[in-house]
Amino acid sequence: MEGSSSQPSDSNPTATDVSKFLSNLPSRGFLSSTVLSSNPGGMRVYICEHNTSPPEGQQIKTNQTNILIRSLQLKKQKGESSSKDMKGVTAAEGSRKRYSFYLCYEGMLAICAPERLQDGRSSSKRSNNQICSEQGGSDSRQADRELYSLTVEKLRALLKERGLSPKGKKDELVARLRNLNG
Amino acid sequence: MSIWNYVVTAQKPTNVTHSCVGNFTSPQELNLIIAKCTRIEIHLLTPQGLQPMLDVPIYGRIATLELFRPHGEAQDFLFIATERYKFCVLQWDAETSELITRAMGDVSDRIGRPTDNGQIGIIDPDCRLIGLHLYDGLFKVIPFDNKGQLKEAFNIRLEELQVLDIKFLYGCSKPTIVVLYQDNKDARHVKTYEVALKDKDFVEGPWSQNNLDNGADLLIPVPPPLCGVLIIGEETIVYCSANAFKAIPIRPSITRAYGRVDADGSRYLLGDHAGLLHLLVITHEKEKVTGLKIELLGETSIASTISYLDNAVVYIGSSYGDSQLIKLNLQPDAKGSYVEVLESYVNLGPIVDFCVVDLERQGQGQVVTCSGAYKDGSLRIVRNGIGINEQASVELQGIKGMWSLRSSTDDPFDTFLVVSFISETRILAMNLEDELEETEIEGFSSQVQTLFCHYAVYNQLVQVTSSCVRLVSSTTREFRTEWNAPSGYSINVATANATQVLLATGGGHLVYLEIGNGVLTEVKHAQLEYEISCLDINPIGENPNYSQLAAVGMWTDISVRIFSLPDLNVITKEHLGGEIIPRSVLLCSFEGISYLLCALGDGHLLSFLLNLNTGELSDRKKVSLGTQPITLRTFSSKNTTHVFAASDRPTVIYSSNKKLLYSNVNLKEVSHMCPFNSAAFPDSLAIAKEGELTIGTIDDIQKLHIRTIPLGEHARRICHQEQSRTFAICSLKNQSSAEESETHFIRLLDDQSFEFISTYQLDPFEYGCSMLSCSFSDDINVYYCVGTAYVLPEENEPTKGRILVFMVEEGKLQLITEKETKGAVYSLNAFNGKLLAAINQKIQLYKWMLRDDGSRELQSECGHHGHILALYVQTRGDFIVVGDLMKSISLLIYKHEEGAMEERARDYNANWMSAVEILDDDIYLGAENNFNLFTVRKNSEGATDEERGRLEVVGEYHLGEFVNRFRHGSLVMRMPDSEVGQIPTIIFGTVNGVIGVIASLPHEQYMFLEKLQTNLRKVIKGVGGLSHEQWRSFNNEKKTVDAKNFLDGDLIESFLDLSRARMDEISKAMSVSVEELSKRVEELTRLH
Repeated sequence: MEGSSSQPSDSNPTATDVSKFLSNLPSRGFLSSTVLSSNPGGMRVYICEHNTSPPEGQQIKTNQTNILIRSLQLKKQKGESSSKDMKGVTAAEGSRKRYSFYLCYEGMLAICAPERLQDGRSSSKRSNNQICSEQGGSDSRQADRELYSLTVEKLRALLKERGLSPKGKKDELVARLRNLNG
Repeated sequence: MSIWNYVVTAQKPTNVTHSCVGNFTSPQELNLIIAKCTRIEIHLLTPQGLQPMLDVPIYGRIATLELFRPHGEAQDFLFIATERYKFCVLQWDAETSELITRAMGDVSDRIGRPTDNGQIGIIDPDCRLIGLHLYDGLFKVIPFDNKGQLKEAFNIRLEELQVLDIKFLYGCSKPTIVVLYQDNKDARHVKTYEVALKDKDFVEGPWSQNNLDNGADLLIPVPPPLCGVLIIGEETIVYCSANAFKAIPIRPSITRAYGRVDADGSRYLLGDHAGLLHLLVITHEKEKVTGLKIELLGETSIASTISYLDNAVVYIGSSYGDSQLIKLNLQPDAKGSYVEVLESYVNLGPIVDFCVVDLERQGQGQVVTCSGAYKDGSLRIVRNGIGINEQASVELQGIKGMWSLRSSTDDPFDTFLVVSFISETRILAMNLEDELEETEIEGFSSQVQTLFCHYAVYNQLVQVTSSCVRLVSSTTREFRTEWNAPSGYSINVATANATQVLLATGGGHLVYLEIGNGVLTEVKHAQLEYEISCLDINPIGENPNYSQLAAVGMWTDISVRIFSLPDLNVITKEHLGGEIIPRSVLLCSFEGISYLLCALGDGHLLSFLLNLNTGELSDRKKVSLGTQPITLRTFSSKNTTHVFAASDRPTVIYSSNKKLLYSNVNLKEVSHMCPFNSAAFPDSLAIAKEGELTIGTIDDIQKLHIRTIPLGEHARRICHQEQSRTFAICSLKNQSSAEESETHFIRLLDDQSFEFISTYQLDPFEYGCSMLSCSFSDDINVYYCVGTAYVLPEENEPTKGRILVFMVEEGKLQLITEKETKGAVYSLNAFNGKLLAAINQKIQLYKWMLRDDGSRELQSECGHHGHILALYVQTRGDFIVVGDLMKSISLLIYKHEEGAMEERARDYNANWMSAVEILDDDIYLGAENNFNLFTVRKNSEGATDEERGRLEVVGEYHLGEFVNRFRHGSLVMRMPDSEVGQIPTIIFGTVNGVIGVIASLPHEQYMFLEKLQTNLRKVIKGVGGLSHEQWRSFNNEKKTVDAKNFLDGDLIESFLDLSRARMDEISKAMSVSVEELSKRVEELTRLH
């Protein structure tokens, strides 16, 4: 109370103010006895003998997907939710191919980025999604395989966007893209 | 000591970290739930006060405690998150009185930097999600589905890295958090975000506020209808919402805790760092906030949590002082305070230092702790056993028995105290001046020894002597009738209650009399085959004046028998075994369970469960209380009946959790005891000991007794000096007037009265760091040595300190000499008649030199470099064990011939130490700052230098407590004859106020208990599904490994609290009988 003991004496209004503020403190009928007794005896210590594992499905884990990937996934889902026929399939696939998605994302980033710069947002999103949703591999060779899975038209479009020649056989197109990725 | 250690809690944590109020145990009941770091306590609010319900151990250090009400539920659920990233949601099942796990999980992330400002766990007021801020830059969301079930958690990136507080806003259609953070220019801002559950991302919130008070670190969300948030700073308080901004200046203070008073959020209680309690009022017109008002209410303990309970009663939980129950009065008291403290709850935390002493020289240790902090600092004397507060005492030799009598049957108080001697009986009574004076009861025969006395129905008194039973009127004190023993027989033992008398004469005759109005009727007589040694007919059945059972102890066959009354038929006969006769039997009842206690002539006590209907005895247990014959007597304290066992080690027997417990009484030898509940001395006991009669009251019946010596300042080191019978402490006092200035003192206290008798003030900026009482070679005097450091604001590490050597002369601290050092003196040890100091990174040895002029000085002899900061040092012989700031434990040796110290071995782990102790020549114990314990072993037989130079980690354990000090010693009286008397122990004290015991067990016992622990883990489940194994696993930033060579005594000792069925289950799994298991565990409980 040091430093404040002078307060009540020099300012009576303060005291009444406090009383005013302290009036009508909420009460639900507990602790109403004038002499409050508290049990000095020790408290019962809880010994838990029953099974304490949570009900089914309530053992909570954290979604381990990288935040960035997840947001891409979600965007993809959103994008595809407009084209109804794909919706169910990709949602299921998306969760199953979580890790591969991550890897191919790294590989594809270079491919996708310039496209995003040049084109409008919607087109980049779609092509990005399309590339990614069809990925299945887990190493660079597999990433190549995924390039193979694209149509020649798609590959040509990608090459064009990078200012490379869109001519040649599919093998050549893929090789050209792969070299580009390093 | 050994590497097989048993860790057990003697004093549970008392530091209150969290509290909350809600309808947890039933929709109608209001509960206060308190978290004490690793335990939660559930209390019930009743019109009469707080009623404790349950003390729940949690396998984790509680980081967050919140009550919430999911949709469609009638009562609140409890959300607990632990510091090791586990969480659980608990629900109370009123039918079974069990805590049900509704959900649990692990919320740790593989990558992430733990937050600096503590973990935050919050629940959306509309129960849409739980939000956790555990790692910098991440906000974890555990969403609820519409049925109130939790779903998979996910992280959201939070741009703000230095978060100070996060809260949910009320009244938002989308869950919205408000984040208080500090930017990289150290300016503080708040920002709001909506949590988009579908997108799993944040959306910019409705408002933000930049450049707040630089000390702002607390957010208080305001419930509807006002909504918005209060931002509590050090100099201002701000109310902020989408459409309002109000600020008021406050007296500079750091707000530590808040409690909401009204459901509409218009009033709050704020507790600051100095323990001042303020009321914050949001003034408003309907839903429009018009301003803020703050008023000082008064002073409390420094609050860590505030919970408004009901009817102006508030719970103040404290980490630095005693927690309190306070009432807010409408009118100020004489000092202008509106706060009335209704009750204080003892808190030992933080125990910064302690020492083990035996002040009463009884062979039993007491712990004196430096507890509390700032203004709430105190010394606490913790001892095992019950104290007697002497109120009157008379010198009286040769007391053979004592009984108290009432002057009428209905009188609630005792008037007379009958004291029997070998050849006379004296009556003492309270006179009008409340003094005890000798009086007479004419009807009593006073020329002989009294064998028994009792008050009886119809305002009568019964006196039994060796020849007769006399009935006397208690009002007129006149003789009414008597019953004479048959000629040739004398009465040996007798007992009585208000309506019955049972006596035994030589030759094994048992006689049963009943008391009428002026009549004594011999109802039954029985002849037994042997002499009778003791009797009891204490009524424990339904009728408080009449017993249907009699307990009889026998010579020769060493048995105890239960007879039915009035027909004197034997119903049970129990052979006690051995050759020691029973000296005292007692029928008694604790917590609704009936027992027969039987004390033997050699200080052992047998207890049996007694079936009142059949007279059957079961569950026999034997304990050793002392070495001399025991006399048993019941007494009441605080409306509960206990038993006093008078002997050379007087003991109180009481019951807790339906278990018999034994607590020493802090008296040396008591021959007789009787309750003497007079009007002047209510609830007192008359105690006959060593030639005197004492009237006194007894402490609360509990295991550990804590006496508080409030200091009003913060004690940091303590040391006892036997020779001068003093304590010395290093303490610091905060000057509230000046700016954050503190002054450090060395104070001398009398070890009986605990009064300051001398003070030495340290220089400005000088801190007391270490303290030691020691003597030096070639000098008979005993000194206090104090190590200090000059802590200058501009220095990272102190570069200057002092060693001060004091002597106590005529109760004053006399400075004998001082020595300047090149750093902080973190530790001082007596070492081979010299002084060993740890100074910053160096260990330095000083000689005690006599100068030519006769004065003394400390002279540096040798030193050893090679530590980051040598904080904790222990020595044994020539060995020095050093606990380093971050380089774990290293072992040095002092070489006498060379006068040099060198490193012998070290533990290469990077442990940040908080305490070290030497267990034995080869094994050293350490505590580190991630709440772990570990032991290391010197490997002197190693084949290579490399092996010998490595301290091998042999034991690891997660204690969950921050240990500040280890000391050898014991809290209990060591019985040389018992097995546990041989077990060496170490006591530790922690920040949460825990006093614990580490006992080194023999290998065989360790293996047995380890097996028991494994089996107990299967039976005793962790509350909320938390795993005991995981909890006790050693854990720091680098590694997590299973506990080894440490056992959890708290778990093992809870075996005794299990239901019989569960005990049987364990007994079967262990192939050891329940009795044997109980016996072995009970023995361990006597370690603390």
